[in-house]
Amino acid sequence: MDAREEEDLQLMSRVAARDGVAFTRLFELHAPITLGLLSRILARRMEAEEVLQEVFLQIWTQADRYDASRSTPRGWILMLARSRALDRLRRRDASRRRDEVVGGEQADTVSPVGTERIESAERQHQVASALQGLSPDQRRCIELAFFEGLTHTQIAERLEAPLGTVKSRILLGMNKLRQALSAQLQ
Amino acid sequence: MNGSPHSGRFEELLPAYALGALDAEELREMEEHLAGCDECRRQLRLWNGDLETLAASVAPVAPSETTRARILRITAGVAGAAPAPPRRLPGWALLAAAALLAVAVWGVAGQLRLRGDLERLTAERNRLASRVESLHHEVTQARDEAQRASEALQVVADRGVRTVTLAGLEAAPRAAGHTYVNPLRRDALFFAHDLPALPSGKTYELWYIAGGKPVAAGTFAVDPQGTGNVKVENVPDVASIQAWAVTIEPAGGVPQPTGAMVLKG
Repeated sequence: MDAREEEDLQLMSRVAARDGVAFTRLFELHAPITLGLLSRILARRMEAEEVLQEVFLQIWTQADRYDASRSTPRGWILMLARSRALDRLRRRDASRRRDEVVGGEQADTVSPVGTERIESAERQHQVASALQGLSPDQRRCIELAFFEGLTHTQIAERLEAPLGTVKSRILLGMNKLRQALSAQLQ
Repeated sequence: MNGSPHSGRFEELLPAYALGALDAEELREMEEHLAGCDECRRQLRLWNGDLETLAASVAPVAPSETTRARILRITAGVAGAAPAPPRRLPGWALLAAAALLAVAVWGVAGQLRLRGDLERLTAERNRLASRVESLHHEVTQARDEAQRASEALQVVADRGVRTVTLAGLEAAPRAAGHTYVNPLRRDALFFAHDLPALPSGKTYELWYIAGGKPVAAGTFAVDPQGTGNVKVENVPDVASIQAWAVTIEPAGGVPQPTGAMVLKG
């Protein structure tokens, strides 16, 4: 466990004990990446910010449900955010999905300072290069499942590909992703 | 908990399960199996770890100042940016009072300025008592805030919650609103943003339109940031609500809308 995860764990237990200072710190550390994920999934900045509020409200009231044996605090927050964003996406009229993609969003991208900046850029680079190792079809299937919440059947319909093909693209793609990520860690 | 035995087939379904990509039938099988298979649960944790890395690979985006302020205000009622003072200060106050009393005793022992000291200490004790009183008040307020936050969460946390977005009309083009309707509890939470302040004698009133008729759903005021909210009870069947709207009405609200409409969705 690195120092950052250790700090996250301490913050989570303090937030569970209703410590507002710890909540503020947790927000400063994780809100930008969480909003990045929400913006990627929802493609609408305003809606992403609303869901960010819901996510942090849930963190504040349900931090005691966090289980360190199942995920890191960051993982818990991101998966909470993903799940809420996908719920929102499913309710939204698909045809209106991308009509409000925010042009100026890049300008809002944070430049984290110090080591956080390096870690973040490094992580993006690692995952980007791991994803590059996949075939475009494998990557597309994984992204549709992860960022749009589609099932095997829905992906097959969207891509007009046979169901079996979609299943094997996901399986092979996820295995390749794992290999690439673990090779980078070594 | 007696799921099917561990097999390569389940291992192959795990990455898609972690991604949430399994269709209903396979999802049910996988969940039954997972309940009884330690090995698959262990592997699932690894897949979830990979997905966390994937999730964290997006470019970070800075929340707007408004969002940041709203989120950090979540804790304001309970603990604020500094949760400790409401808990620690009364203790400090008591210690200070005890110390001051000790000084008072010292004073009694032989100081000629006894009377002046006593008066000063009495004033100090009164000041501290009043401080303790105001802290009690803050703690009560904090509890109320927490209660309200908890109630709000109960409305929005259910899976089936519907969200309706209200857009600002001509009278308030920058305004926006959201209604979260919980069909199970049959209640709703409405939040308005960027609404202009109203002159005295006026209030905002929320309506839902069901069966073509507006039904009054509560009045609300906005803070200096233009934010306001209402909790609505006894909401009818979600499918029967055609629209939500906000109008400007005389203070206290009216049974039928009479004023300008500012939000609709």
